[in-house]
Amino acid sequence: MAREECKALLDALNKATACYHHLVLTVGGSADSQNLREELQKTRQKAQELAVATRAQLTAALRDRGLGAEERAEFERLWVAFSGCLDLLEADMRRALALGTAFPLHAPRRPLVRTGVAGGAAGVAARALSARSLRHEAEGDFDVDDLRELEREILQVSEMIHDMEMKVNVPRWTVQARQTAGAELLSSAGASSVGAVSVQERTGPCDLSKALAATVFSAVLLAAVALAVCVAKLS
Amino acid sequence: MAGGRQAAQMSHLSKMERVVVSMQDPDQGVKMRSQRLLVTVIPHTVAGSDVVEWLAHKYCVSDEEALHLGALLVQHGYLYPLRDPPSLVLRSDDTPYRFQTPYFWTSTLWPAAELDYAIYLMKKNIRKQGALVGHEKEHCDQLHRKLSHMWDLVVMQAREQLRAAKQRRKGDRLVIACQEQTYWLVNRPPPGVPSILEQGPERSFCAAEGVQMVRALHMLPTTLRTCLPTPTWGLPIRPSILPSVHPSIHPSIQMALDPYTERPCSAAGITRPCLHPHSHASALTSCLPNLLHWVQIKNTEFYKWEMERCRKALTRARVKSSVCLEAYLKFTSQHGPHDPIVSGCLPSNPWVTDDDTYWTMNAPSVAVPTKLRVERWGFSFQELLEDPVGRAHFMDFLRTEFSAENLSFWEACEELRHGGQAQIHATADAVYRQFLAPGAARWVNIDSQTMERTLRGLQQPHRYVLDDAQLHVYMLMKKDSYPRFLKSAAYKDLLAEAVIPPDAKRRVFPFMRKPPHSSPSPALLPASTSGEPVAVASGPECGDGDT
Repeated sequence: MAREECKALLDALNKATACYHHLVLTVGGSADSQNLREELQKTRQKAQELAVATRAQLTAALRDRGLGAEERAEFERLWVAFSGCLDLLEADMRRALALGTAFPLHAPRRPLVRTGVAGGAAGVAARALSARSLRHEAEGDFDVDDLRELEREILQVSEMIHDMEMKVNVPRWTVQARQTAGAELLSSAGASSVGAVSVQERTGPCDLSKALAATVFSAVLLAAVALAVCVAKLS
Repeated sequence: MAGGRQAAQMSHLSKMERVVVSMQDPDQGVKMRSQRLLVTVIPHTVAGSDVVEWLAHKYCVSDEEALHLGALLVQHGYLYPLRDPPSLVLRSDDTPYRFQTPYFWTSTLWPAAELDYAIYLMKKNIRKQGALVGHEKEHCDQLHRKLSHMWDLVVMQAREQLRAAKQRRKGDRLVIACQEQTYWLVNRPPPGVPSILEQGPERSFCAAEGVQMVRALHMLPTTLRTCLPTPTWGLPIRPSILPSVHPSIHPSIQMALDPYTERPCSAAGITRPCLHPHSHASALTSCLPNLLHWVQIKNTEFYKWEMERCRKALTRARVKSSVCLEAYLKFTSQHGPHDPIVSGCLPSNPWVTDDDTYWTMNAPSVAVPTKLRVERWGFSFQELLEDPVGRAHFMDFLRTEFSAENLSFWEACEELRHGGQAQIHATADAVYRQFLAPGAARWVNIDSQTMERTLRGLQQPHRYVLDDAQLHVYMLMKKDSYPRFLKSAAYKDLLAEAVIPPDAKRRVFPFMRKPPHSSPSPALLPASTSGEPVAVASGPECGDGDT
């Protein structure tokens, strides 16, 4: 159904925007490198594709005159979330441009700020692209062309936002969000275990360690069963 | 990196950033250590004492000043302490600090957006399982009311950002969380902590920008103006940072925009690349504040205006700064001993000791003027005339010389100049009859040319019709009577009789002296008793009412 598709696209765009935000945080710091700039480029291009697709779907849905009132309200809610997400993305892109220009990687005018963040962010970018891992193919001078591309893309995104505001008339104040004040705490079982400030936390992803534990346990169980059978046979 | 008018007000931030960047130099920067938590090791820590030492060495300042400078850096969020609880002070010892990532620098991300704050609070809420306390909980509720239409987005983004953070190593995650926390400590300080980013009321920047914006719009060619939808002015320019001020951006924006133009730029009359009228209106509106800097059409009107301006500038009278400064020095040296702030005031400063003898002794009409006041009459004629007591004494002196009508005429002219519009006719008439008519009772001696001009002007009297005559009389008094007055016996008597106010006596028992503090503000007095404020305000016995 159209609504489910729109929702799925919006979720994907949301994920890409969050990952992009997370990557832009480290530009200019000690983790900045050509790889990071490449990851930024891939993430934002994916986000833009998703944005274009979402916008087409949502505009088609909202233009449809035969929608019921409830459906229309639902689509308007999605629309408001979509435009907010796009605003966040555009703001982050502008900041990435400003920071990228101020901290160029090719002819090091300024030394990068030593912030203590050292690791790579390949996992974040892979998450945004819904891929398992990311291959880096950046050449040495990547960031110079990248900045020009970025400017063009910023203009495209701002144009898209402007078009959206002009063509679709969704007054923000009539939209009622579905989530109540405490909603975020209910279904965040996975996220709640992220105690980012607590020190006693597992490093690996949950799935891998759980799978490992399960294999070990089943192996031990099998060994115990085999021993019991041998003992039974011998006695 | 902030755009437009903010850059002018934020110059101290760019200076601080330069300091921070120079600290990063691998050879000459600050010494870095590593922080060792239970299992993880996070590099790039500096100790407070190292920071102070480096600043003192690099800028050749005293330790105290280096400490103050370092404290400024910490307060603006460029350095943050690693110990809990996070408070933005610089301690000159082993306390570890770390540098803030450029994304969270005040200049990149200013002003702080409400949506971002909502997302941050939501993330904190999720992490702490709903245990937000105090001002953060209040802010969260407020934002929920304000941004209720966007709350879905807030929750979604918060969840996704937390999940994205999980993809990093633990050490990086900790650092990023600390960075964000510091940023929000600076931009949304807890109650009781003064906000370092508070600026005074907006000055003329706003008005000037508004006027300039309209001017820039009118300078655009008509094709562009028609394609700009008029509600554009109502749309808020989003607070996202516009990469405008950095000089290297402009040539690259040129390159980015050029592929989209179809028309040669010269025909449109803009020297910078013009935008395709139909597709880039949005880009134009979002870059609008930047247009103030680079849209300037150099057509004939502009050059005519420039020529006129230069011509006017040539005819302006100029004074050499050496001459100005000499006069300025003379003025300050002469008036120095008379200034109550520079040289202290006798008997005592009323604002400090609640003793208003100083004001009563220097009231406009007082029987016996102070010695300083009488001395001031000797500085210039203007001083003498401005002081009512001086003017009265001067009038007495002129009476003895039988030239009092000059001063009376001058006073009458002043009355005409500053009086009401309805009384001009009557006043001018009275002045003519009393001072200027041939055979008048108090005829003033003015030269014939001025008299002719004045009489002609009096046919249609207006406020400034007697200006020439007044100036003539003023000059006469200044050159003639005034020096005689200063040398006269009357003036010397005045100087001798003038009183020097005594210095406030020191009491024998110091602890019985009234504590010097200002009167309590009326806002703090109890509103119920109405008689009390009157009594308190009048007398100097405010020692009981402690502020």
